[in-house]
Amino acid sequence: MIVVVGSRHDSVATDLVASWPEAALCSAEDFVSPGWVWPLSQPESRTWIVNTKQVRDAQVTGIFIRRPTVYPEELATTHPDDRAFVASEIHAFLMFVLATTSARVVNPVCDGAFGEEALRPERWSTVASELGIPVRPLRVSSGPRRRTRYRTYGVEVIGAEVFGDAPSRVLESARRFMAALGLTWGTLRFDARHRLITVTGAGRPSDAAAAALGRLLKAGHS
Amino acid sequence: MILVWGSQNDTPVARVLEALEVRGCDIYHVAESALANLQYDIVFSASAPSGWIESGGRRVAVNQFRGIYLRPGEHVAGNAQNAAMVLLALAGSLRSVVVNRPAAGRSNTSKPYQIGLIERAGFQVPDTLVTTDPTAARAFLRKHSRLVYKSLSGIRSIVATLDVSEEGRLDNVRNGPVQLQAYVRGLDVRVHIVKDQWFACSVESAAADYRYAGPTGTTAELSAFDLPEKVGRQLVKMVRGLNLLVAGVDLRRTPEGSWVCFEVNPSPGFPWYEETTGHQIAEAIANLLAS
Repeated sequence: MIVVVGSRHDSVATDLVASWPEAALCSAEDFVSPGWVWPLSQPESRTWIVNTKQVRDAQVTGIFIRRPTVYPEELATTHPDDRAFVASEIHAFLMFVLATTSARVVNPVCDGAFGEEALRPERWSTVASELGIPVRPLRVSSGPRRRTRYRTYGVEVIGAEVFGDAPSRVLESARRFMAALGLTWGTLRFDARHRLITVTGAGRPSDAAAAALGRLLKAGHS
Repeated sequence: MILVWGSQNDTPVARVLEALEVRGCDIYHVAESALANLQYDIVFSASAPSGWIESGGRRVAVNQFRGIYLRPGEHVAGNAQNAAMVLLALAGSLRSVVVNRPAAGRSNTSKPYQIGLIERAGFQVPDTLVTTDPTAARAFLRKHSRLVYKSLSGIRSIVATLDVSEEGRLDNVRNGPVQLQAYVRGLDVRVHIVKDQWFACSVESAAADYRYAGPTGTTAELSAFDLPEKVGRQLVKMVRGLNLLVAGVDLRRTPEGSWVCFEVNPSPGFPWYEETTGHQIAEAIANLLAS
């Protein structure tokens, strides 16, 4: 089974669930439903709630993360005074689940973060540099902002597969870069001089990338 | 120059500032209240960041910061939030001594996640269950007879205990994830690690959470504690493995003499322990920042 951790209001999440075999959405509501069992030891008894149903962790082959956190506003059945606290507790719980599940997680928890929080530039720019991938400098200023327009292009990486219209050396660099970071999925954006601007896992995967992701998540760690 | 980010009303920040002053360090203090007016122009690239920040009319090149101590407050918005993000990015990118790098401190935002890391570092940890299932929670209570429950996240909560006579309360776990841990008997020992040094303090208290002994009508007696060298070294290794330079580690020595580790705090409030033990923790941090 593939579990997409996301929101019912996220069309990317719901489209992926519809397109992948044996996929289901684990929503914010599921985290405030009875039935979760997640011990530190005894992994065989770990149990999810996915789309209101209990699912053994051993049945889950792949997890696709489509959210950076759970927001208080999503917890409609929780008392308004408790929502911020419960959302924070769910975030901490989700981190624990993603770090300890036996399933393949896309992308894995790193340094106590998941989703876009785990893809901060200070993490990936060093790796890019080590691999000889040029990085476009980023200027941040409190002064008046001048917008600079420039052309960009994207390269999608899923495991060892790379999708995108780019020179072969860029595609190969992208694959090595993601492997070095331990990332399974992401879109790398480059400028016209092939300098890396950013890495994100928040975008909508292309059809080809979504199909590759589905295969990978269904296969699990095998 | 040492960058200190945090409120002077926050005692760890005040103590570090004091120790840096005594040491004669050139300090650049960004108070929480100054964040909204912080000016900056910084270029982040694959090499070290370059540019400047300006607070209170004083402009400094960021590559002058050889040490950074940060204890940011919470919930800032607007310009202050932007400035906080920039300072966090600097703390994550500059090749300075940083206490502590933001990424390293994040393990504490999920206590059960962190306890897995502690276990991997070779420490005994309490049996832990996170659940929304009353049946599983009851079984866990019966297994251990007495449990501790506390928040999963970094939000501070009062640690409380639960025994079999209160089993009915576990029906409430159905409303959201609750962390339950086996109660471990023994002596509380708080150890502050500053790079390779350790400062141990024992706490004798009848309270489930000694930090709140007063409000519960009990007391907490703090004393300097002679930590076995082997445990100290193991803690230094674990803290280094978490990429932290400074940490406050909560342990309990069981009546049988084994050590159980509960939590590693990456931004410890150490002055309370300093006051009673005479430990020079702020001075050790200042020395580290200036090294």
